[in-house]
Formats: sequence, structure tokens, C-alpha cells
Amino acid sequence: MAEPGRDDRQPTAHEDEREFAEERESLWRITLGPTIWAGHFLICYASVSVYCFRLERMFGMEGLRLALGALTLACLAAIGWIGWRAFRRWEVWGTGEFSNPVGNAEDRHQFLGHAGFLLALVSFIGVVFDALPLLLIGSCR
Amino acid sequence: MKQNRIPAGDLAPEGIYPPTEEMLDEPVPDEVRARQEDNLRAAWKTPQGWRYWTAVNNSEVGLWYTLTAFFFMLMAGVMALLMRLQLWAPENDLISADRFNQLFTMHGSAMMFLFAVPMFEAISILILPAFLGARDMPFPRLSAYGYWCFLIGGVFVIGSILFDAAPKAGWFMYPPLATKEQGIGSDIWLLGLSFIEVASIAAAVELIVGALKCRPPGMRVNVMPLYAWYVLVVGGMILFAFPPLIAGDFLFELERSFDWPFFDPTRGGDPMLWQHLFWIFGHPEVYIIFLPSIAIAAMVVPTVARRPILGYSWIVLSAVGTGFLSFGLWVHHMFTTGLPNISLGFFSAASEAVVIPTGIQLFAFVATLIAGRVVMTLPMLWIAGALAIFTAGGLTGVMVAIAPFDWQVHDTYFIVAHLHYTLFGGMIFPVIAGVYYFFPFFRKKMLSERLGRWAFWLIFTGFNICFLPMHLTGLLGMPRRVYTYPEGLGIDWLNQISTVGAFIIAAGFAVFAWDILRPKSGQPQIERNPWGGGTLEWSHEIPETKWGVRSIPYVTTRYPLWDQPKMVDRMDRGRYYLPDAEEGLRETIVTSVIDARPLQVQRVTGPAYITILAAGFTGGAFIFPTFHLYPPAIVCAAFAVVCICYWLWTSTARPPEADMKEAGLGLRLPTYAAGPQAVGWWAVWITMLGDATAFASLVFGVFFYWTSNAAFPPPGAEHASGTLVALATAAFAAAWLATRAARGLNRAGRVGAARAGLVAGPLLTAAGMAAIIFSVLDLDPTTHVYPAMMWALMVWLVAHASAGLIMQLYCLAGSLFGKLTPRYDADLWNVTLFWHFLGLTALVTGAMIGLVPRMM
Repeated sequence: MAEPGRDDRQPTAHEDEREFAEERESLWRITLGPTIWAGHFLICYASVSVYCFRLERMFGMEGLRLALGALTLACLAAIGWIGWRAFRRWEVWGTGEFSNPVGNAEDRHQFLGHAGFLLALVSFIGVVFDALPLLLIGSCR
Repeated sequence: MKQNRIPAGDLAPEGIYPPTEEMLDEPVPDEVRARQEDNLRAAWKTPQGWRYWTAVNNSEVGLWYTLTAFFFMLMAGVMALLMRLQLWAPENDLISADRFNQLFTMHGSAMMFLFAVPMFEAISILILPAFLGARDMPFPRLSAYGYWCFLIGGVFVIGSILFDAAPKAGWFMYPPLATKEQGIGSDIWLLGLSFIEVASIAAAVELIVGALKCRPPGMRVNVMPLYAWYVLVVGGMILFAFPPLIAGDFLFELERSFDWPFFDPTRGGDPMLWQHLFWIFGHPEVYIIFLPSIAIAAMVVPTVARRPILGYSWIVLSAVGTGFLSFGLWVHHMFTTGLPNISLGFFSAASEAVVIPTGIQLFAFVATLIAGRVVMTLPMLWIAGALAIFTAGGLTGVMVAIAPFDWQVHDTYFIVAHLHYTLFGGMIFPVIAGVYYFFPFFRKKMLSERLGRWAFWLIFTGFNICFLPMHLTGLLGMPRRVYTYPEGLGIDWLNQISTVGAFIIAAGFAVFAWDILRPKSGQPQIERNPWGGGTLEWSHEIPETKWGVRSIPYVTTRYPLWDQPKMVDRMDRGRYYLPDAEEGLRETIVTSVIDARPLQVQRVTGPAYITILAAGFTGGAFIFPTFHLYPPAIVCAAFAVVCICYWLWTSTARPPEADMKEAGLGLRLPTYAAGPQAVGWWAVWITMLGDATAFASLVFGVFFYWTSNAAFPPPGAEHASGTLVALATAAFAAAWLATRAARGLNRAGRVGAARAGLVAGPLLTAAGMAAIIFSVLDLDPTTHVYPAMMWALMVWLVAHASAGLIMQLYCLAGSLFGKLTPRYDADLWNVTLFWHFLGLTALVTGAMIGLVPRMM
């Protein structure tokens, strides 16, 4: 790992190998963003359904909308963080490579970062889209 | 660095990897090469004569699969023509209303279940191993079993129309119409298609494991062909989309056969549950059809553009992103069912969001074409047609995703037009492009350029003549699925145009079918790589050899035939891995998931009758209940289990003759793996993920009734016996523990103790089954949906526990007869994994039957 403030640091032996080792990767990681989208979607749908079918007569919707709004913000923050991590892994500023077509560990590492970043992006948009009905429609009608 | 996770007792690969250039340049002596080729030829020989049908190789099974699906498509197409003839004129009496209902139900069902989804499986089985430079898929007999299931089920379902007994409630079988339907039509639909869904899940398991574990050494995830990415995503989608439908079918058939009122509102049931379960399957299904077809475009486009695809990561994003988002769309088929508007809003929003990844991949294709030097070959012509038609279908999709617009056009011909635009553009055209593109690969012949252009222009113009006017027909108010319409609504001429278009499409398909089926023996030998493609399938040998690849290459680029120029020559000379089959066994290499490091030499199974027998008996178990013939069905099910056990016992996870084997290029690989290293373990894991989804759908059902019905469980209802449920749960937990302990003890060499665990396990399982059955015995499932649901959960658990019990006994037998030893214990690992899922199922079922209803 890079030590701050020491540009002349010599890489230690097998440093790259360790950083890009296969055991440290997982295909699941690129699906984290979409999984958060799915969780957000399901919670919104399920809680609104339960509310509209069973609880509507008991209290107003504002509390639920606020809670789901808070959930939305939390999900967006989490996706943002995942996206940022993936963006760092892609390392496009350091390498200048947008596409990573080479069959070595470094390119595979950066490719998974790129894919994870793009998936975080589309999940972010998905969560924003799914929050719009909460904002625009205030009741079960 | 973390230690590798190879279980103790397993062997690790030894020797040199990756290979150096010098090693790859070393010549192979001619006599060695000839001997190796003889060995390979013998190991991979296709059975001759009538034994041909026992073949399990992907090239044979894939071919049968493709042709069968194509045949079903032609039949479903003929049904469409009959419907169009009936609609030619108002008040037409060519076809009766009842016959018309059967026709549209069967047209939709056959096109979806007997053509579109199987076609994906068929084409993938046929070409995926070639993309990956693999000899075969990891479980050839599973593919063959899946195919025979598909054939038997498909003939049964589609044949019913010839006996005037076909289902007639529409391809989505809405209750109460379908539950009240007289005759056996609905049962044929439910049981026949459930049977075929088994085949789909088998194919999904095969393809996921294939794409993850059977890539050639060096083919890391960032260089694998895009097709493999799509297969992975679609396989995953099948695992989460088909099980809800299987759960729905299960409830539906219980209602049809035993009058358990799941969808009957007079006894607490709710037809909406079926709609939810059907469309949780049904919408992802559209993308299950679309993604693999567009994956063909992702293979054709770089070849015709003469350059690598632009935006590889972006296409991976769109495949994975679409896979996820497509599960958030199902209610857009249910906008008119009276759900709260805010709920509709969520689905409307997700339906608009899915346009983003879908659009991205189309833009990536267009960008690749712009950046390259396009050669307008025949496959590209079909891809171009696909893009045009799909874009039009996508635009109307954006329109109907908006709920208020959908309320206007719901169940009209506008929807018929929309769905045909998406399916022709998203599936038919790309698949035909694929047939033209890959035909030289799988038949070693070329299709006719002239006939292909005729077929294209006939189908393309015919399609637009037929379906473009339907948008207007629908907006003018013609509902779908009516067998006739009165004069003077202004839709007569539109219907006539559509009918003319339908016959032009049919003419196009006739040309296409003739081109495929006409004899081509006079054709000279084709070029090896006729389109100049860059991916591994074009390293195929001409004339045909049955071994797949001569040697399994070391791949480090996305387009190895373009970027690694010496590769094909080295493959041919047997310079790479597994160039020989000394033991006369069929083998392929298993590699790691992320970086495709070689891990193991996997022995794959060869020709067998047993898969056909197993499929036949499985068919009996599903088909006899259609006619309410339960005893023969049970006999068939028992024989199916026996066949499957025999098949597994004789050909899977057998102790090898030697633990390690020379794989070539100085690499020695283990020949046996157990636990997470083994492909069989992965297959169990993937299957059980699908199974858990089906179970989750049943649990969802309980909560669904609770939200939709204020009296669920009804006040004062009798509950299952708490004591017995607790006993059952404890027994299952103990059986689970015994199985897990047996695995550890066996590995540690304490074989006697392990066997004791495998004796205690089945006894506990049987006790658990008895207790859970008796716990609900006093409830009458026909009176109300609440007891029915408890019974359904019980039946589900008992069925799975029976499988778990057989597996425990299978391992016990393995231990007693020397198939399962402390060193060779793959079976026990797989069974333990099954039991992890079963144990959780039992705990959740115990809670759902014993605890949750008392708290609701």
C-alpha cells in the first residue's frame, strides 16, 4: 500500500501480486450497488403495500414517507461510497486507461472496478427514480 | 495473503503455470500427434446407428434442442396464421370461439416456453463450450436429461391442440378463469410447463457453471467473451425468475386437483397472488429471452466491424444492470388491477430506469459499427433489422410503462403490437442472425446468401405490415384475444392488412426453413473462419472433429484469433493443455472463477440411455397427474429417482485411477475435487439457490394473504399442533447436524462414526417428516386458504426432506461400498450443502406453521 508523502518509495517484492491477487476479488462485489437498489425497491414496495392495505385508517402517510426518504438517502450514500471505492479501483486517472482488455491481474482488477463503478451509477439513478413516487404521490389513492 | 481454501486432503496443482513462449514453441513430433488424435477420436466418438440417440455431447444435444425448439416455433406460427385468417373479416366463422381461445393460449405459451427460452438454452449449449475452448459442458448428461424432458413435455403440451384439449385461458392462465376451466387444458399447461421449467433450471445450472468454471486457462473475467457474461446473467435470472412460477404452479395445481382454495376469494384466497407470482417470473422472462439474443449481436458486431467491441465494461454493466432492474418491473403488467397508485409509481419508475442499461448496449453496438469498417454480411443485415424493430418496440414500451397511458391501451392490440416488436426485434431477428453467423460453425456448411436476403426482406416487411397497423387497431379499441369483431368499427381494413403481413412473414420463414433443411452435401468445403471472427469458436476444425478443441489453449486476450496469431496452429498441433486422452476418458479443464487458473482435470460423462429413461419417468410423474392418474405417477416418480441415483452412482464423483494427471505444458492437475473446488458442489449450490427462491415465494404467499385479507388467519381458526411442529423442527435440525457431523468425521478418517451419523440422519429425517405431517392433519385444507397454505408448506418440506433422506442413504451406501472414502468425499460435501438449505427450509417452515400464524 502507498505510504503518504513518500513518492520515492520503492515497491516491495510481489506488492502488485498481492494487491491484485485473485483471492481478494469477488464477482459479487460488482453487484453490491444493484443489490442495494433491489433492497430499497423491495422495502419501499412492501412497506407501502402493508401500509395501504392494513394501516391506512390508523395514521397518515407522512411518517412512512419520511422514513422511506431517510432510507433513500442512506441507500444513495451507500451506493455513492461503493461507487467511489470502485472508481478508485478502476484507477482511470492514474493509468489513463478507460478500457482494460489485457489478460493480466492488474487489468482484471481495474476492469472489475470499472464495472462496479458503472453499476453503482445505474443503481444510483434507479434509486432516485424509485424515490420519485414517494415525493410526488402522497397517498394510496 | 489469505491461504487458499482448498480443503485439507485435496491436492493442489503442481508444476509450471502460466506457460512460457518457448514451451509453446516446442514442436510436437508427428507420431505423438497422431497417437493423441487417435485417443481423442476414440474418447469423443459419437455413438453410431440407433445408439446415436444416447449421445450427450453438447454438439449433438444442442443441435436436437435447437431443431426441436425451431419446430415448436413453426407450429406456434401456424397457429398465428389460423388466428389471422379468422380475423380477416368481421363476424367470421372460420374458427369457433373455443378453438380460437386454444390457439392464442397455445401460440403464446409455445412461443415463450417451447421456443424462446429453450432456444437460448439450445444455442448456449451448442456454442458456449466453443467460445470457452472447452471440450464440453461440465455436466453433459444433465443437458441431455434436460433436452429429453423438454422434448417429452413440449410434445405433450403442444400436441393437446390436436385433440381439442389445449389450455384456453391465455398464456398467463389467470384464475379464476383458469382454475374454473372445465377439461384438462389448464392441467396440461401447469404440469407440462412445470416439467419444462425443470429443464430450464437444469440448463441454467449447466451454463452458469460452464461460464464460471470451464473457461480456458488464462481467460480472466475481463477478457471472457461477452456472450459468457450474458449467459451468466441470464442463468442467474432464471434461478430467481422461474422458481416463483414453479411455486405458483404448485399452488395452482393443488387448487385444480384437490380444491385447496389459494385463488378462490370465497374461501379467503386471492387471484392476485397468481398474478404476482406469474409476473415476477413473466417480466424477467422477457429479458431472459432478450439478453442472450442480444448477446449474439455482441459477437456478430465486432466481427463485421473488424474491430474489438467498444465499451466492453459498459456492456457488462448493461447486462448485469438489466438483470437486476428487470425484477422491478412485474407490476407494470398489472397496472389495471387497482393497486395503490403509489405502488404503481415504483414499478413505473423502475420500468423507465431499465431503459438506461438497455439503451447503453445498443449504443455500444452502434458505436462499434461507426468506429469500424463494416462489411454488410447477411448476419449483420439481420442485426440491423433487429436494432430497428427493437428500438420501435422499446419506444412503445416507454409509453406503456406510464400507468395512465397503459390504462388506455391495456389488453388492446396496441399491447400485441408492442410485445411483438420487442420480441421480434429482441429475439427473433438476432437469433436468426446467429443462425446465419454460426451455421458454418455448427454444420460446417454455409447458408445461401440469396435465400437469406429473400428471407430477411420477406420477414422484415411482412413483420411491419402485420404489426405496425396493430398499434392503430388497438388505439381504435380492438381488445386482444377476441375471436371476432363487429363490422363498422373502422378496424376491418387494418385487420386485413395485418393478415396479409402475417402471410408474408410466413413466406419468409418458409424460405429460411428451406435454407436450413435443404441438403447441402454438394457444397464444397467451407473456409475455417468464414467471417473472420476473433473469438475461439472459429478455431473449430474442418472437416468436423468431435473432440471440441484439439488442445485447450492459454488465452490472454478478448479476441484471441486476432491478437494471438500463433494460437490456432498451436491448438491444432496439440501444443496446449489436455492434448491427449490416454485413459480413453472424456476430459476438460476446470479453472478458477476470477482468473481462470487451472485447478483440475474434470472427467465428463459419455453417452448413456439412463438419461433418456430418467427423463421418460420424470415425464410420467408430471403427465399422469394431468389425467388424475396418481398411482402410475407415483410409480414413475419412484423409477425416476432410481434412474437418477443409478446415473449418479455409476458416473459421478468416482474415485479416479490416479490422483494427479499430466495436463500438458509441465502442469500436473488433480483429477478429483470435493467441496467448493468441485463443479458438482457449484451445481448443487446454484440449484438450491433456485429452490430457495421457490420456497421464499411460498412464504411470500403467506404474508401476501395477510396483507390483502384482513381475516388471515381467520379469527378463531384452528392452528397446527405447536408441540408436533416443535418436534419436527428439532428432528430436522438434528438430522442436519448429523449430516454435517458425518462429513467432518468422514474427512477425519473416523468412518464408523460418520456412518453412524448417516444412519441417525435418515431416522431423524423420517421422524421429522412424520411429525410435520401429523401437526397439520387436523386442519382441513379445502375449507379456507389458511389451512391450505399450511398444508402446502408441509408438502413442500416433506418433498424436500424425502430427497434429503435419499441423499443421506446414498452417502451411507457410498461409504459402505467404497465409493465414498475419507479421501473421496465429494458426494458428502454436496449432500451436506443440500442439507444446509433443507435445514433452513425446515426452520422457516416450523416458524411459518407453528409461530407466525399465532402472532398475525
